[in-house]
Amino acid sequence: MSGLAPSIPQAGSPTTEVRGVLNGPVGFLASAAIVLGLGGLVRFVDLNLAGWFPDVAWLPSIEFPVYAIVIGLLGGAVLGALGIRERLSAAFRTEFFIKTGLVLLGASINLAVIARAAGPAIVQAIVLISTVFLATWWFAGRLGLDDKLRAVIAAAVSICGVSAAIAAAGAVEAKKEQLAYVASVVIMFALPLIFIQPWLVTQLGLPDAVAGAWIGGNIDTTAAVTAAASIVGDDALAIAAIVKSTQNAMMGIVAVLLTAWFVYRVDRKPGVSVGLGTLWTRFPKFILGFIVASAITTWFINSAADPKAAAAITRVAGSDLRVWFFTLAFVCIGLEFRPAAIRDAGLRPLLVFGAATVLNLVLALALATILFTGFTLK
Amino acid sequence: MTDAPVAPNPTGPTAASDPPTVAVATRRAISEDWAATAFGLLLIALVLAGVITDGLIP
Repeated sequence: MSGLAPSIPQAGSPTTEVRGVLNGPVGFLASAAIVLGLGGLVRFVDLNLAGWFPDVAWLPSIEFPVYAIVIGLLGGAVLGALGIRERLSAAFRTEFFIKTGLVLLGASINLAVIARAAGPAIVQAIVLISTVFLATWWFAGRLGLDDKLRAVIAAAVSICGVSAAIAAAGAVEAKKEQLAYVASVVIMFALPLIFIQPWLVTQLGLPDAVAGAWIGGNIDTTAAVTAAASIVGDDALAIAAIVKSTQNAMMGIVAVLLTAWFVYRVDRKPGVSVGLGTLWTRFPKFILGFIVASAITTWFINSAADPKAAAAITRVAGSDLRVWFFTLAFVCIGLEFRPAAIRDAGLRPLLVFGAATVLNLVLALALATILFTGFTLK
Repeated sequence: MTDAPVAPNPTGPTAASDPPTVAVATRRAISEDWAATAFGLLLIALVLAGVITDGLIP
């Protein structure tokens, strides 16, 4: 999954800055104050901006992820210009915020919907991951990329961005520079897609379920998937979350296969075996939280004496709280974005990533249309 | 000391391997995973218990 991993030195970041992260209580509190302050600003702008400019007809259609990312980018630019962004990055936890938000999202999705969507989501994930991974691996090989970099890029672009890159890097023992580089490129491609794909959804007139499945299947990082799907709407977000979580769940299987491939075929290490424990280690645990949250609130609503009151309670968890955590995650996306990554990106890996993204975009649209046309959340 | 960005050479054969850095990233991803799961479920439990209500969320 994805999002950004602040612990990974970004390509092009001065090493001295990364070492200078203030991890103590003061540094963390200062960093948390920045994230919460910007998050509060996003909520304030989201609630009031349209009222301030009533003549601007399109303003009410702007969703909170747009404000969050733009304000995060501006905040990151200011901190970067002051030379203190790295030092104050201790609370820039995109992964934590987005995963907590997704667990909370589970509280607003009926367990029956997850069960019905699981079948097509699994089929889509298997076809997409295997096709995009193998095509990326092949194309990167044609361009002469190092085997380990090929594996990390292919995993990132086909499964779930930075999280998959971390899992693949661990599996193939990639270099830290390779991981940092891929993490930067993932964000570089995900950021524009957050805005482009919802626009394409509107242009193509896609139904919510197909739109959610397309966004969930195409965009690499889970945080960016959530942002893009939130722009489309709640129903699209629910399907996108299920589809992306399914892809996340496949990460463990890919990590095991990659480990085996590199141990037995590439590095040819004698006497080394590949344990299935990796499957559990790499399994994204937040998916369990997502399903448990859905099961608890579904049971609660079905068994409560006053279903309306029960629905109101679950709305607090599944919607109001969730929006806060997503807002903080999107602010962190902006805060962590480093333009230097674009400057330092080499041409060949970028070419591989771009080609894989186009393939993913087209294939995911075809699969989403085939598998999710006619799917309803009611 | 220099603040010049260190351009990575991801395809180059001479870049120094540093498995602990990847291992640290892996450990952090796994622990954040568990932390987010536990924290999310705790928040839901608090909402269902009536501790966190509409009025508490700005």
